[in-house]
Amino acid sequence: MDSALYREQILEHARRPRNSGRVAAPDAQAVVNNPLCGDELEATLTLADGCIREVRFLVRGCAIAQASASLTSLLVQGLAPDRVAQLGRALRAALEDPDAALPPELEPLAALTAVRQHRSRVRCALLAWDALAACTAPAAAESGGV
Amino acid sequence: MGPERIRQDFPIFQRVINGHPLAYLDNAATTHKPRAVIAALSDFYAHHNANVHRGVHTLAEEATDRYEQARAKAARFLGAASPDEIVFTRGTTDGINLVARAWGRRLRPGDEIVLTELEHHSNIVPWQLAAAGSGARLRYIPLAADGTLDLDAAQRLIGPRTRLLAVTHTSNVLGTVTPLERLIGWAHAQGALVLVDAAQAMLRGRPDVTRLGCDFLACSAHKMFGPMGIGILYGRAALLEALEPVDGGGGMIAVVSEQSSTWRESPARFEAGTPDVAGAVGLSAAMDYVLSLDAAAIAAHEAALTARALAALGGLRGVRVFGPPAGTGRASVVSFAVAGIHPHDVAQVLDEQGVAVRAGHHCCQPLMRRLGETATVRASFAPYTLPEEIDRLAAGIRLAQQIFGHG
Repeated sequence: MDSALYREQILEHARRPRNSGRVAAPDAQAVVNNPLCGDELEATLTLADGCIREVRFLVRGCAIAQASASLTSLLVQGLAPDRVAQLGRALRAALEDPDAALPPELEPLAALTAVRQHRSRVRCALLAWDALAACTAPAAAESGGV
Repeated sequence: MGPERIRQDFPIFQRVINGHPLAYLDNAATTHKPRAVIAALSDFYAHHNANVHRGVHTLAEEATDRYEQARAKAARFLGAASPDEIVFTRGTTDGINLVARAWGRRLRPGDEIVLTELEHHSNIVPWQLAAAGSGARLRYIPLAADGTLDLDAAQRLIGPRTRLLAVTHTSNVLGTVTPLERLIGWAHAQGALVLVDAAQAMLRGRPDVTRLGCDFLACSAHKMFGPMGIGILYGRAALLEALEPVDGGGGMIAVVSEQSSTWRESPARFEAGTPDVAGAVGLSAAMDYVLSLDAAAIAAHEAALTARALAALGGLRGVRVFGPPAGTGRASVVSFAVAGIHPHDVAQVLDEQGVAVRAGHHCCQPLMRRLGETATVRASFAPYTLPEEIDRLAAGIRLAQQIFGHG
């Protein structure tokens, strides 16, 4: 069955997500939402020597969000939070701008670039990275409500 | 006039989407526009463009005439007693916000606004904002298990503290049609006012405000073949006349002095600034188009489509359909979930087959929580929907189940 967006790697990671769930005693955690669909993703991680030692994602979301979290969890282990933030910005640029190239370090996430053709799904692919950013820079203030 | 003939009036159906003819099943979000509406917009800008209520020149007179003719037509369309009861807004959301801000100033601590669990965010959040400033509180009529309102609970909730009942005519998620006559009777017996959210009603059992006896009613042009960005707020004349404006500016004042101003009569009082005149002209053409259709034939067509969809989806393994059963007067809006596949993924696979549906919370998060879902897939029909498009929907769902390994 041929689908432009749902390539085999995406489907496989969506069906059998790696590092799914929660880390037992996290050093940092964050929950992010996708206001478009109400999806929710929680990141929990432990740090060692200033680098991510273990990260897990609990995803209540679509196949893209699930697969992205799974692929991302494999990529960011051992990286410093600053480097993760840099990569997150580079991934966002690569998904939002069709002319931007994916940096070699993000090559394992290449399957996600199919969302470039589907503007509404970019946020799904970035949800795990939004959660990582919130974990490492939790100061971003939530705006008010009634 | 069948759907095949109606489709000929809509240029959008010439589109090919991902190699397939467009099967547009997202009519609860917005309907497509017939050539007559597109032409009316273009004709206004090409031949009559001017600001309204401000000039004595010929074009200004023509623009004003067309704008006010649209208002008079809207009054007749909704069964209002007078064009003075019709305020042009940006849409249903804007109309509800206008009432919440203008009438909401009367709320006092202890007052209650009664809503239902079916409401769209646009008929919840404006009341939260009004309540937050006044100490009033919101109460919700719950749903019964079949997706209709729990009327015993409604009777208990509508009481002496109720100042307003704000209720949808037709649920944009479940297709539930609310028993407005009874609810309005109960509210009025308690001295409360009633606002009807008629966003989904204009092609599905269009209400007559006089027969219904509601106090306010809000709707949008774009869900009845008209342009986006314009809508109608109906308000009983005596009520509108007693309300203070919410937006200040040109067109709504009688006299402006340095420290204070006086207002024009309603509805002008509520239309500050240059209105969407072309939008009103397009809305007028949309109302003409709706009136040119055979209402009984359309109702029968949509009932048949709904029954076909409920049967087709109900027959698919792993598909759970929400809302009232077939044959209960439910509207042509069908929400469902596919086991193991996120609604966005279902909608994406359908789009690859040229089938346009909505996936998400449909601006109804409280209702989603009530259903135990964060999102659903929704198919919604219109007079131009073909029965075979429902078959394409069912085939697309089976395809999604194959792709995601749940088939």
